[in-house]
Amino acid sequence: MSGSMTTGPERWLAATLLALLLTACGTKQVVVQSEFPPPVMNKLPLTIGVWYAEDFANHEFFDEASGRAESSWLVNTGQAQVELWDTLLKGMFREVVHMNGKPGPGQMNPVVDAVLLPAVDELQYAIPAHTNVKVYEIWMRYRLQLVTTGGAPIAEWTMPAYGKTPTAFLQSDEAAVRLAAIVALRDAGAHFASSFTRVPDVAQWLASLPRAGDPVASGVQP
Amino acid sequence: MNPRRLIIGACLLPWLAGCVNSTVDQMVFNTPGEGIGDASVVILGRRHASDYETEPDFISCVGSHISSRDESISVIGELEFLNALYPWFEPRTAPLRPADLERLLEHKDVADTFATLQTQYMIWIDGSTVRNDSAGSMTCGIGPGGAGCFGFGTWSNDANYEATIWDFSNRAEVGRISTTASGQSYMPAVVVPIPIIAPVQGTACDSIGDQLLEFLSEHY
Repeated sequence: MSGSMTTGPERWLAATLLALLLTACGTKQVVVQSEFPPPVMNKLPLTIGVWYAEDFANHEFFDEASGRAESSWLVNTGQAQVELWDTLLKGMFREVVHMNGKPGPGQMNPVVDAVLLPAVDELQYAIPAHTNVKVYEIWMRYRLQLVTTGGAPIAEWTMPAYGKTPTAFLQSDEAAVRLAAIVALRDAGAHFASSFTRVPDVAQWLASLPRAGDPVASGVQP
Repeated sequence: MNPRRLIIGACLLPWLAGCVNSTVDQMVFNTPGEGIGDASVVILGRRHASDYETEPDFISCVGSHISSRDESISVIGELEFLNALYPWFEPRTAPLRPADLERLLEHKDVADTFATLQTQYMIWIDGSTVRNDSAGSMTCGIGPGGAGCFGFGTWSNDANYEATIWDFSNRAEVGRISTTASGQSYMPAVVVPIPIIAPVQGTACDSIGDQLLEFLSEHY
């Protein structure tokens, strides 16, 4: 095409449209980053340890496109997971200690009352193109383990978390999924904070602790 | 293009809006007092439904409407309130009845935060704006000689919201306001698409905001 036939702005417009067409076929990547508020609640009088496995601290979810018209998705929540759980646990417990390694026999770790090991078992997402509903959704299932510093199990349970966000004018799919993930993480924090002492094995363990007269031993919800 | 035509076009653009029909219903259980004085009000979206989400923008719009009409009313931002009382007003944990507030206030830190915020009215808004009945078609093209669109599109928007007002000091529901609004938008295109948008959500926001002012403001 000769230069005399097209003007500058038209070339730019054509290049932009071509770029848009090409990016539509690529992977949509979402890195979830956010600050989370500390929970407003009475702290449990416990020193809790926490160990983030490599998979958890760098958690990402990849969904490969099933057809040429769809995009693959890569959702990275690891950084936000660590940010959430650090803030949450500091607001829930008297003291929070990061472990040097995964609790187990022979592993040198600081002395704590118990160690929490969070893990993301499953993550699913839905966008309006999948469901015809004008919300973006993220659903996660956590597997939570509470163990002694020696690695002996105290409690193990699963916990779902859900977040959704409505469609909005000029909002990209990536921005909406990111926002839904943040809502899901906040929901995870709310679920954990409001249900931790009601998990049967946790409640039993709390009742067995030799702290007569304090809120934990008397079963008062924080 | 003649600059004068452009200016005239720009001036006419705000008047190119579709028509909106709006209805407001109100139930008052307790007659409102003489405004809220130094206290504050918080407007929160209900987000329990699985198939829609009360838009944060709408909540923000109602808050802005109230504070712009009566500057003496202090409206706490939704996110600010949710963060200040995390995790007790998340969708999973939010109180569904005024009586549930008593349970929350058993936590000293929560009670202290409420005291600091001086919240007198808590307003829950539930609903959404949806697009229905799209029709028409439009074709756009680009070539060496230029770009343009031709066709006609039309769609309708329906807004349906309900506000439930809790009097925090009495732990009681004092009123309910519901508003529905619908409007038809058009987009004719002859080279350039001309959107004629019906401000459905904005009308619903104004309607519900005006009614809420009767509860909150001494001037209404």
